[in-house]
This record gives sequence, C-alpha cells and structure tokens, in this order.
Amino acid sequence: MTTNIPGNLKYTKEHEWALVEGLTVTVGITDFAQSALGDIVFLEVPEVGTNLKAGATFGVVESIKSVSDLYAPISGEVLAKNTDLEGSPEKINEDAYGAWLIKVKVKDVAEFNNLMTPEQYQEFCNTSH
Amino acid sequence: MTTLRTHLYDEHVKLGAKIVPFAGWDMPVQYSSVKDEVIAVRKTVGVFDVSHMGEFFVEGPDAEAFVDQLVTNDILAAPIGKAIYSPLCRENGTVIDDLIVYKLRPGRVLICVNASNIEKDYNWIKSKHVGFECSLSNASDRYSLLALQGPRSFEILRPLIAELPDIEYYSVFESSFSGEPVIVARTGYTGEDGFEIFGGHDSIKRLWQKLMALNVTPCGLAARDVLRLEVCYPLYGHELTDEVNPYDAGLAWTVKTAKTKFIGRDALLPKPARYKMIKLILDKGIPREGYPVMNSSNEVIGAITSGTMSVVLNKGIAFARIEIDKAPSNEVFLVDIRQKAYPAQLTKKPFVTGGHK
Repeated sequence: MTTNIPGNLKYTKEHEWALVEGLTVTVGITDFAQSALGDIVFLEVPEVGTNLKAGATFGVVESIKSVSDLYAPISGEVLAKNTDLEGSPEKINEDAYGAWLIKVKVKDVAEFNNLMTPEQYQEFCNTSH
Repeated sequence: MTTLRTHLYDEHVKLGAKIVPFAGWDMPVQYSSVKDEVIAVRKTVGVFDVSHMGEFFVEGPDAEAFVDQLVTNDILAAPIGKAIYSPLCRENGTVIDDLIVYKLRPGRVLICVNASNIEKDYNWIKSKHVGFECSLSNASDRYSLLALQGPRSFEILRPLIAELPDIEYYSVFESSFSGEPVIVARTGYTGEDGFEIFGGHDSIKRLWQKLMALNVTPCGLAARDVLRLEVCYPLYGHELTDEVNPYDAGLAWTVKTAKTKFIGRDALLPKPARYKMIKLILDKGIPREGYPVMNSSNEVIGAITSGTMSVVLNKGIAFARIEIDKAPSNEVFLVDIRQKAYPAQLTKKPFVTGGHK
C-alpha cells in the first residue's frame, strides 16, 4: 500500500505523527490512518492544560462506522488544540498532515527515542497490513 | 472456520473494496467512501452484493399454507406476486430470524433469510415440515443476489431484464437476464425504490459487470447499515435476537394474531413486551451499539442496539432497547458516551424518509 509519509516527522505504531520543534510537539494522525478510517465525522481531543502520558489514550476519532482511540506520542501538557477541526473533522481526510490535532509541551525529551523515523514507519506500514 | 466468498469476490477486489469478515463471509464493507455510497443510493443508484443471504424454496400445493403457519405475518392473505416481511418465531414467541417471503406463483414460495441464520432457520423450518404437501430446499449455495437501490433503479434495470413491468414496491416477478432465469423483487434494505435480483452465480456476475459498465456505484455493508438505520429497519443480532419477541423489537405490525394458527401465537396473543425500541437523535456525539441509555436522573434504562452517524442528517442516530417499565414519562434520554452523558432527542418517525412508493 502506498501512503504519504513526510520525511520531517516522527511516527508511532498507532499511526500518529509528531512534528518536533524544540520542546513543542504538534500531533496528528497519518495519511495511512485517515485512509484506513474512511470518512472522519467526529473528533474528541483534550482541553488545553490537560497532561498527557506517552502511550495513553488522549481522545478519539470516529468515522461513520468506527471509533478509534488516539494515543499520545509523548508525555506533556496540551498547549493548543486545532479549533479549525471543530465541526469539520473531515479536514483530516483532506490533509492528514495539515490538519493537526493538538500541540504538546514536552516533559521528557528522552521519549523522542521511542518514536519511529519515517523509514521505520514506512517499514511498519508495509509489514503490519 | 474458513470464511466464505461470494462469486463476486474477485470483482470487489478489482474495484479496490475493503473486505471484512461478516457472518462467516468475506464481504466488501466499502469501496470508495461510505458517505458517497449512501448518497448514491439516496440520490441516484447503487448496487450491493448480498449473495451471502440465504434462499429457501417451498414448492407444492401446501407451500403457502406451510409458510403461513411458520411466520407471524399473513402469507395467505397476500396475493401471488407479493413480498411479505415477517419475523420467524419459536413457540415462546422469541425471534429466530426476520425474513422476506416471496409468493412467486401458486405453489412456489421463496424465503430470503439472513446469512448468519441460514443453518438455524433451515433446521427449524425442516423440523416443522411435517404433514404438508410441499417440498423444502435450501438453495443458498446455488443463488447469488444483488440489491440495486436508489431512485434510478428501475430505469437502469428495465432494459437489462427480458421483461420487467413497473411492479409495485414489495412485489416480485420472474423473468430472465441474458437468457438465464432471474427472480426480480422490488424490495431492499435502504428505504429507497430498488430491486433485489436473485439468479445463478454466472448470470448475476454478468449483471454486476453490466451495472459497473453503466457506472452504478458499488456499495458495501457499511453504507447498507447506515441506509437501513436511517429509515429505521431492524437488523437481526441487534434489534432482533433469540431473546426478544416481535413486540420487544417494535414489530407489532408484523404479528397477525387474527390468524388462527401460527408458531408462537399462544405466547404472542397477550402482546407481551419487556422492552421497547426507541429512536434517538444526538446533536453531539455518535451513539454506538452497547452504549448505555439513561433517564434524566442518570439511571441506566437500556442500551443502544445500533448507532451511527447519519449521512443525510449529519447527526448521531440510534435504535435503543429500553426496559418498558423504565420508559421515562418526560421522554428525556441521555446516552453515555465514554463516561459522558450526551442529550438525545426521542423521535417517533424514521430519521429519514426513503423514496420508495
């Protein structure tokens, strides 16, 4: 399966992407994830100020027929959520890497080592599906 | 258990369908987008491969009488050429399956049943096949089935079928397609006008290819589920189960207690209902099967049996089964979605009105 995997991002096994800029990480779901989900119709993300734990669920994304948990790629505090997606979550289908979900202030930079490189994620997508 | 494939499986793969296991079959759940497939059926025309469903034939002088006493709805009263929806019940009134009975001609009846219940239904019907002058056969392996649904169905199908009069909704007609016999019924599971075409595997495959060449939208099980829920058709395994009777499932209209004899009549005569099916609309949040339903005091009174995002309304819609003695008189309902209570509006009418005549 061909899927768009930008080279400047980090990835998780749950198909989230993370853009690392200093201590701020922008989080979204990958093109692979949006394609597998189909028409996205509902999104639930935490309020600003919420503390996330790496690997724990922080929200849900729903397509017409399915509910999928979102997993935090990194621990830290939610700095912002993408209000553009409120009422129009289908923007994730249109541009998975433009339609970010939340920005997180990183607590422990050592956790970056747990994220996958684009090459590792490509390999992961090839072998797991 | 290995999963079965319909004779159109390769066609689905070629079209890029996402395939999922369903009722023991590998079935296409969606091709392009669920939303687009739903809209195609509501506005123009779409086609579903529903060859996994079961077909039984009952033939002989007692065919109609035999089927009539098996089911709760009235088969004898309907004229030849009609299709009749009915539950199939046990003596205690619980529902074995819901099915459609097609009165093809005098002494020839087709019964179409849910894929997941083929064996259960056939064994049950066979056990009751005593003292009637008619044969019973399970033809499920010999038949493929397409559901062509949407306002343009008739104009698409008419030129393809040897002879196809403009029959009424819930009627059936025996005809042929490319020289092979087909049974064409004006039935479906979407609320729109449409046809279900039963035929041999090869002819149905040719018909599918023909419909693809005419740009009919192939539609998967996900769109089918949204479509049937929008028009409030029950689904076995959700609204109907082995544990409930037709009254519990909101199907009182299908129980003809005026009939003198049918299996389950004694149990169903007092109209026993422990549950009530209700229809809920949510402005925010999407209800899903199993989510608890609560009254205004946050007491759980039932659960969602089917829920989805409606493509037409762009709102969450659901069927819920609530305990009848806990039905709140103020008609205020809440749905528990991930430990948060979302208000839900009760509606008496179907969420969407289909276009069938």
